[in-house]
Amino acid sequence: MLDTVVIPLVMFLIFPGVAFLLAMAFFLEWIDRKTVARIQRRYGPLHTGPSGILQPFADFLKLLQKEDIIPTGVDKKVFILAPILISALPLTALFLIPFAGPSALVWFEGDLFLIMFIFTLIVLVVFLAGYCTTSRFSVIGSSRAALQMLGYEIPMGLAMIGPALLAGSLSISGIGQWQMDNGIWTVLLQPLGFAILVTCMLAELEFVPFDIPEAETEIVGGWRTEYGGRKLALLKLGHDLELVLASALITALYLGGAQQIWIIPSIFVFLAKMLLVTLLFSLLRAVFARMSIAQMLSGMWKYMVPLAIIQILLIQLGIGG
Amino acid sequence: MGILKWSRSKSPWLIHFNTGGCNGCDIELLAALTPKYDVERFGIVLEGSPRHADVMAVTGPVTRQVRKRLRRIYDQMPEPKFVVAIGSCALTGAPFGDCYNVLGGTEKQIPVDVYVPGCPPRPEAIIDGIAKLLGKMESSDDDDGE
Ligand code: SF4
Repeated sequence: MLDTVVIPLVMFLIFPGVAFLLAMAFFLEWIDRKTVARIQRRYGPLHTGPSGILQPFADFLKLLQKEDIIPTGVDKKVFILAPILISALPLTALFLIPFAGPSALVWFEGDLFLIMFIFTLIVLVVFLAGYCTTSRFSVIGSSRAALQMLGYEIPMGLAMIGPALLAGSLSISGIGQWQMDNGIWTVLLQPLGFAILVTCMLAELEFVPFDIPEAETEIVGGWRTEYGGRKLALLKLGHDLELVLASALITALYLGGAQQIWIIPSIFVFLAKMLLVTLLFSLLRAVFARMSIAQMLSGMWKYMVPLAIIQILLIQLGIGG
Repeated sequence: MGILKWSRSKSPWLIHFNTGGCNGCDIELLAALTPKYDVERFGIVLEGSPRHADVMAVTGPVTRQVRKRLRRIYDQMPEPKFVVAIGSCALTGAPFGDCYNVLGGTEKQIPVDVYVPGCPPRPEAIIDGIAKLLGKMESSDDDDGE
């Protein structure tokens, strides 16, 4: 009873399951906002809890208690379903990440493809979420999101395949295990792939310089324009979970995963690496300005796709492989 | 103070609406949002869409043409919502009060919670006004805002 029901239940609901992931989502948003603020010589959130650490939680709670408006003219079913999907999809994908120890809660040979598929599915839901509101700002925002995906999806996939070729495994846990066994981080062998994956994740997260789908100065709130109250809360939660997913995935694929260093438990090592990746995202977000959609697409196809192919070629030639 | 009220007073998101002012107040409001004053310390974020916002910062006198739009944007905001009138124009219409196309201050069209006088008010005064609003939110008894 204890082994078959209670322990798996605790693992799924508390650690490293839902409760832990939600806490991580709020924590990483706080880190991100604080870092950007410090780079802009500001303090960022300060008075909500110690150093403002409860700010994302306060935002979430406030949004939950607001009036729930369904504008006339929206497609109700999609409008209600989309926020739920947007927060549930990254959460599902996070179960595949090996946070503590060599293997994740759920893992099988080929879960790398499932993650890629979920990333694509998120963008598809984003597109529907904007499109179903029929507001002109949302429609422009969501079509930009879909267009942007055409740019970064292929290099992102290729950059994820690099470590898989190296480790000879199509599972994220397997790739992490390989890095632990050989005592080397993939990033040292394939720095190009790492750079490409970070860039594409910025686009997936809609961070500056790729915040084109929600460009606040051009199209109000982008595809989120018509969402308010608890739907917006779920959208924001989904975005935070995506941030956790992106940093955890990069950690697992490129930065050695949950290895044990000296006597520090592997979970803390993993979290420290995730924090580093988040800091990298925030730094890039703070120092760049937004690109136009045409620049972004042509840049991706002219530079990122060839570079990603070169990376795969290098691995095939035995360099970094 | 309950946790719901706490969260509300810790995360007021602004939407800025100019109803026909001379732009002086808008420049001061934007200055208040720059890194120099850093209102994100209080959790204040400028939002583009009225659906995301809690607090509407109105500047300028209400003109005949903008009256309907002001009302519509106010209606688009989800409850509980608050309004801050910034600048003498938004209070009474001030120098433009007697113009043929001006209907006067904001309070004649939508309920206003906090008034910030000045032509234009300094960024410090605007932040002080919003801080007063937060104090009002914390001390209000009813749980659905104003
Ligand atoms: S209060 Fe003064 S500065 Fe502000 S809009 Fe009116 S005239 Fe311009």
